[in-house]
Amino acid sequence: MPMLTRRTLLKTTAGAAAALAAPGILRAQTNQLVIGCAASHTNWMEAIVVPHMRDAIGAEVIFEGTRSAVNLEKMVANRGRQYLSVIQMDDPVMLQAVDEGLLERLTPEMVPSLSELRDGAIHLDGMWANYAQPWSGIAYNTDMLDGVDSWEALWAPEAEGRVIIPSLQNTEGMWTLFVAAMLATGKPFEEAQYEIDAAFDKLADLRGNLLSVYTQMPQAFNLLEQGEISMIPGNFSSFALPRRDAGSPVDLAAPSEGIFVMPSGVCLVDGAPNRDLAAAYINELLSAEVQSEIADFTSSLATNTLSTGGADLPSGTSVYSPDWQFVAQNRREWTERFDQLMAI
Amino acid sequence: MTATRADRIGLLVLPGLAYLGLIYALPLFLLLLKSFRDATGAFSVAEFVQIFGDPLQRSIMARTLRVAFLVTLLALVIAWPTAIVMRRAKGGWLSLFLVAMILPMSLGVVVKAFAWSILFRTNGFINQAMMALGLTDAPVRLLFTETALVIGAANVFLPFMVLPIYAVLQQQDPNLPDAAATLGAGPYQRFFKVILPLALPGVVAGCAFVFSMAVSMYVIPSLIIGERQQTVAMQIARSFLFLRNEQLGSSLSTILLLIAVSVVLGSSWLAARLGARQ
Repeated sequence: MPMLTRRTLLKTTAGAAAALAAPGILRAQTNQLVIGCAASHTNWMEAIVVPHMRDAIGAEVIFEGTRSAVNLEKMVANRGRQYLSVIQMDDPVMLQAVDEGLLERLTPEMVPSLSELRDGAIHLDGMWANYAQPWSGIAYNTDMLDGVDSWEALWAPEAEGRVIIPSLQNTEGMWTLFVAAMLATGKPFEEAQYEIDAAFDKLADLRGNLLSVYTQMPQAFNLLEQGEISMIPGNFSSFALPRRDAGSPVDLAAPSEGIFVMPSGVCLVDGAPNRDLAAAYINELLSAEVQSEIADFTSSLATNTLSTGGADLPSGTSVYSPDWQFVAQNRREWTERFDQLMAI
Repeated sequence: MTATRADRIGLLVLPGLAYLGLIYALPLFLLLLKSFRDATGAFSVAEFVQIFGDPLQRSIMARTLRVAFLVTLLALVIAWPTAIVMRRAKGGWLSLFLVAMILPMSLGVVVKAFAWSILFRTNGFINQAMMALGLTDAPVRLLFTETALVIGAANVFLPFMVLPIYAVLQQQDPNLPDAAATLGAGPYQRFFKVILPLALPGVVAGCAFVFSMAVSMYVIPSLIIGERQQTVAMQIARSFLFLRNEQLGSSLSTILLLIAVSVVLGSSWLAARLGARQ
């Protein structure tokens, strides 16, 4: 039986180390960009963004679809040795990322497309920018309902056990909370969004109609398509309308009380691998060409003023955008309260 | 000379120990430390006091233990006859049983969860079967219930119950029940006095495997019962990933770890005692 000598051990160790390091060395030499985004982005990322970035800037895009809060946690956990280069996530979580010092400011020199964006799409002097924005209403099963005229339909007796709402861990969960505040107080949105106690009282009445609360939207949407539930509030045009156009028995309603615009942003991670390529990625994502394609694909609103196509906002209803600073300051407490309220 | 060689062979365990120490024990130790510190880094058990004082957290712990117990029980009820049949099977049938046990493990739990959602829905197969058999007049709600979770989790963990029991049964002398019969033992006595006691170490090992995994499962409850019916593992993920409350997350992790370690140590002790009695 061969003896384990020191030389053999050293050779084996060196070989093992080389084998383990090889993927990392090879990866560092590629034009690979790891992008953090939402799970619901998968369709248009695969269809539009990945092939475009390969052709336009020679980047091989790998994207990880998850919740914005999880993307934030990934950045915090990898501070100083980030593996994500760019993150596409919602404005309230962007605010937290800025507070944590995790983002690098975007400038027109590195991202020329910034100069083409409409007012209000660039935040905190370039810490992040909004790209194509979907609108949010109530997704419903067209075999079960003819339409949804009012957010009050969620509370109707005939909806018992037929509704799934987003958790407040998801940004779209805020719409149900704010709508509850509006319905409970009768005040206009601008005032009602601060009436959180009234909102929670109204949400308490919704519990009997809930089949569940989701953090993973595609699973809930699957149940909507199967006819297990009739409504998902806070769902957005970028997900529901392509499914409708693909023949699924679903549609997105714009209730009379108003709808919301999803605050979807893109940012450059501080210390991003392949930083220049990451900036080029953001520049392309914000360009008129890519935004037009995404806006068409997702029935969203483009933020690039030179973009064409995309969705028209539903007429005859108001479009709201909440006080995101207020949301960011209180979200953790609201989420704990929400989880307590909804727990069975 | 022999002792020296044995010592050198003993060195082969070092890489494994180092790997476990670095990847498993050290992070767990750091997690334990963190659970006993407050936000300023001072020693504190305040988080544990808060957890055990919170009715919601207590109900979450109760649900976690209840579900883990029921999953283990259901898996055992299904696994026992399966293992007996496998013990008697030979050749191609045995291969078929083993493949049937192991192959589903290669299927992702996400795929299984979506498949179960089809079975469990209002107009799904289970409800239609129950209505056809006259067991119920109207569809029963199964989706997002503990019942669905127990059935789903038992399905995932079944191989971890079957295989240890099968392994122990396989080692039994097949003539033992016949020998007991020649001494006048009836079927009842043969089962409870001969077969079951000899198989108990496998049963205990299987129960320990399944309970440990069921008490700490995260993906399966996330997909099957959703956010309204939390388990401890879901609370841990929420604490770290959303609330960014490391004290809460690490304290809950410590509680879960203590439960799992207690089950493993308790079952090891039980298995040793049962082995000694035999």
